[in-house]
Amino acid sequence: MSGTTQGLGRLRAASAGNGVLGVLIVLLVGLTLGMGQLEPLFRALFPDLGNPLYSRDSFLNLMLAHIGLVLMSSLISVTIGVAAGLFVTRPVGREFEPMVSSLAAIGQTFPPAAVLAIAVPLAGFGFAPTIIALSLYGLLPVIQNTIAGLGTVPHTTLEAARGNGMSRWQILRRVELPLAMRVIIAGIRVSVIINIGTATIGSTVGAKSLGTPLIAGLVGNNLAYVIQGALLVGLLAIVTDLLFERLERRYSFGS
Amino acid sequence: MIELQGLTKTYAGKNVVDDVSLTLDTGEFGVLIGPSGCGKSTTLKMINRLVPLSGGRIILNGDDVTELPAEQLRRRIGYAIQSTGLFPHWSVAQNIATVPQLLKWPKSRIDDRVDELMAMFHLDPTEFRHKYPHQLSGGQAQRVGVARALAADPEVLLMDEPFGAVDPLTREVLQAEMRRVHRQTGKTIVFVTHDMDEALQLATRIALLNGGKLVQYDRPIELMVKPDNDFVREFIGQADLGLKLLSRRWVHQYQREPSFEHHATLKGLDHCWQLDDAGRPIALEGARLDDDHQVTEVKPEWTATPEMSMKEALSRMVWYRVMVLPVVDDAGKLIAEIGMQGIMGIEAESGLSAGNPAS
Repeated sequence: MSGTTQGLGRLRAASAGNGVLGVLIVLLVGLTLGMGQLEPLFRALFPDLGNPLYSRDSFLNLMLAHIGLVLMSSLISVTIGVAAGLFVTRPVGREFEPMVSSLAAIGQTFPPAAVLAIAVPLAGFGFAPTIIALSLYGLLPVIQNTIAGLGTVPHTTLEAARGNGMSRWQILRRVELPLAMRVIIAGIRVSVIINIGTATIGSTVGAKSLGTPLIAGLVGNNLAYVIQGALLVGLLAIVTDLLFERLERRYSFGS
Repeated sequence: MIELQGLTKTYAGKNVVDDVSLTLDTGEFGVLIGPSGCGKSTTLKMINRLVPLSGGRIILNGDDVTELPAEQLRRRIGYAIQSTGLFPHWSVAQNIATVPQLLKWPKSRIDDRVDELMAMFHLDPTEFRHKYPHQLSGGQAQRVGVARALAADPEVLLMDEPFGAVDPLTREVLQAEMRRVHRQTGKTIVFVTHDMDEALQLATRIALLNGGKLVQYDRPIELMVKPDNDFVREFIGQADLGLKLLSRRWVHQYQREPSFEHHATLKGLDHCWQLDDAGRPIALEGARLDDDHQVTEVKPEWTATPEMSMKEALSRMVWYRVMVLPVVDDAGKLIAEIGMQGIMGIEAESGLSAGNPAS
């Protein structure tokens, strides 16, 4: 009896979680496609503004460009970060661990604006310097969590894997990576969420993103633009975070 | 057959295993024992090359282990450690199938083998196949660990303090199961422990190590009655040597035909059994020191099995205040009895060992 009620409770909690995520996704898509419908609202809120709705580009275009920036830079961060994390936890690369860790930490201490300022003379304006800045910026959490995640695999588990005749590659693929995956994904989650926020400043060097109305609003003293950009960036970050939470849960094995 | 020839392991200029030579015949249950740091675990791990050799040779059924590729060698050798060695992200069935999968057995053969092993360890496949290690009790996890080690029918089974992390009660059950599995499979086993009682329970050969050197290598009884030196004597402990000897004797060696009628021969030993229709003992008349005609109800707690040690049988006699225990088979049917004379070893030569499962 109590088992049933408990089960029901869990089911309800899960569906409530689903509900929140569903509502947020509908809101995100709805606002991206139909921000124009809210023009009367913004006009009422900001009666002094001549043009209270950003209209130089569609919000759908801005959203897709933003997601493109984040996807591209995260892909680079994750590829380099996981590869570096794997390298320094193998016997051949172990001595590089302190160096790689501190390099990634230094990458994190640079303000993204400073990285942009350095990247522009090297890579020009637009997409490329933003990708460089975001990739560098997202690297640390991925490297750190890859190293930490692989470190959580119990010594006895590894010994059992070796003792049962698995090769190094089989141990990595079948035992280490699956067991480290939850922590690695947590690192990717942090990295992606940081990049969703940071990608907005790419607009200062000409990369189209949800930061474009934000920056335009700040420069032109148009609070409505700022709200429209910030609302979408915020929603995108929350939805992404919830999706990652789900993904992480798939890799917890009772411990 | 495993031969260790002048086996040596050096760490930082110190010999942690020092010129150890011994031969373990096929089907023997060898136990490596000694105080911590004696090199027993290192010796074991050199057999499957988890630890590289510094000197000497290991011959496994005619092959020098250093001449085989490490992974291939390890798939020929079962390896069981404490329960934390299970893969936490794999189900019980997947864990057991580890080596067969590495050997690329066809799926149907793997499934059959997993079922067979789960049955051997009394794990109901429908209940346990899809469970994960964290859903198992310590004893169940340990059984899965041993089942995994046996999965690909290895030539040798290595066990590194496998029962070190389970509670004493579970450990005794697992030890009894290990004896049964050894008898059923006839596997050559090398087992590391620091617990002399465990070694005496399981071993057919005990290698006692100290400071990396082999001190004595002998049958358990010999180790007890003919220790080579004071270290051996001390390590075994003299306090309850009689009881330790009993822990090496089995009920099936000393049991006799059950008595169904009264014989007024000896006080306290005159007794007879009452059975139910299925042949299970339900009551014992007599065999109490106080009253030869008292009827005692038979409880499962004081029945014996042929595989039980005489130490356990004695313990039950003392605790339940009876002079004789019923010996029952798996179905609970009375097949023999074990009495005080058996404990003293009197029945040993008389050959009245009905239903003897194995010698």
